[in-house]
Amino acid sequence: MAADNPIDPIHQFEISKIADIQLGGIDISFTNSSLFMVFALAATMTLFVIGLSKKSIIPNRMQMLSELSYNFIANMLRDQVGDQGRVYFPFIFSLFMFIFFCNFIGLIPYTFTVTSHLIVTFAFAGLIFIAVTIIGFVKNGLGYLRIFYPSGIPIFLAPLIVPIEIISYLSKPISLSVRLCANMLAGHSILKIFAGFIVMLGFLGFAPLVFLVVLYALETLIAALQAYIFTILTCIYLNDALHPDH
Amino acid sequence: MKILLKAFLLTAPINFVYAAEGQKSAGLPQMDIATFPSQLFWLVITFSLLYLFMWKFVIPRLGATIEERKDKISNDINDADNLNTEATDILKKYDEQMANASQESNEIITNSKKAMLDHLETLKKENEEKVNSLISESQAKIKAQQEKSKIEIRNATLDTVKAIVSRYIENIPSDEEINKKLN
Repeated sequence: MAADNPIDPIHQFEISKIADIQLGGIDISFTNSSLFMVFALAATMTLFVIGLSKKSIIPNRMQMLSELSYNFIANMLRDQVGDQGRVYFPFIFSLFMFIFFCNFIGLIPYTFTVTSHLIVTFAFAGLIFIAVTIIGFVKNGLGYLRIFYPSGIPIFLAPLIVPIEIISYLSKPISLSVRLCANMLAGHSILKIFAGFIVMLGFLGFAPLVFLVVLYALETLIAALQAYIFTILTCIYLNDALHPDH
Repeated sequence: MKILLKAFLLTAPINFVYAAEGQKSAGLPQMDIATFPSQLFWLVITFSLLYLFMWKFVIPRLGATIEERKDKISNDINDADNLNTEATDILKKYDEQMANASQESNEIITNSKKAMLDHLETLKKENEEKVNSLISESQAKIKAQQEKSKIEIRNATLDTVKAIVSRYIENIPSDEEINKKLN
């Protein structure tokens, strides 16, 4: 019923199987979601394979683009974490490129937005949360627990502050994943709703069309911005794990 | 935009409820647990591949290229600095040589001026001497001429006196007597 509605804004998020694969009773079919993950991977690979095909001192456009993204993430990591963060650079860089391309490919009509599914963003956020917690305990031992009790807080406030800090720490993966997912979901739904208005209003459809163009530009900004926010928050969490005193 | 977002968020829980009730097509596809294993599986595969690609291929190469460029730029800057100092040295040397040359030429000018003046001075002196000797010579000549003229006049007078006297008296006085009277 809802799926039959041509302007159902949720329809675009539905997952359909392309190839049915079962492994030990678990459904791991290759779906449209998987296809667009592969597209994001392919887009990143294409950018860097072309960008790195001619390594020259004076870069051409594609090399410039790949170097820009490299420097952008490298600087972000250096600013947030410092030199200790160098080890995590491949992960942070991959994370940014993957989310960035998933968000952007999703902006093309009739495509699927991988990052609009909470399970995907939550998988990233959960992985980051667990990794950051492990890194925190490995690097600082039990001293990592200091992040729940910031220095300079009077002792009588501890019963209040410590639970708040623990809750805020535990809610990090949820806020991180929901932020990205909800942004993609809401933005794409609104685009779809306004696209539907254009069809419904007939000749008067130019008004929502103008609005759609503006909204599309905004969504483009959000697609880039959310990839950036996800990455920089990961860097900040990593910094907290490496330097719990700050 | 905000209103629409609110409207959407308000309707979202309804969708969640539908999903919980098992009405698959009506709920948010995001809440369909049956698709989770597939999504996670393919996410792990694609992201692992991307991670490997970044870690083994992109980052070493890009890092090397950027490092290389940085080195090249700093080398070029060093070279430029060296050339600059060299050029400054050359300029300094040039200035020194110029100063030396001008000093030398000044010396030459003063020396030649001096020499010229000296020469002029000697020439002047020589000329003066010559002129002086010429003057004294001429003076001597004039004096001699005067003496000579005096004697000639005296002789002529003597002769005249003798002639006049001889006409009136027979006794001609001697030359010594006339000379005595003339003086």
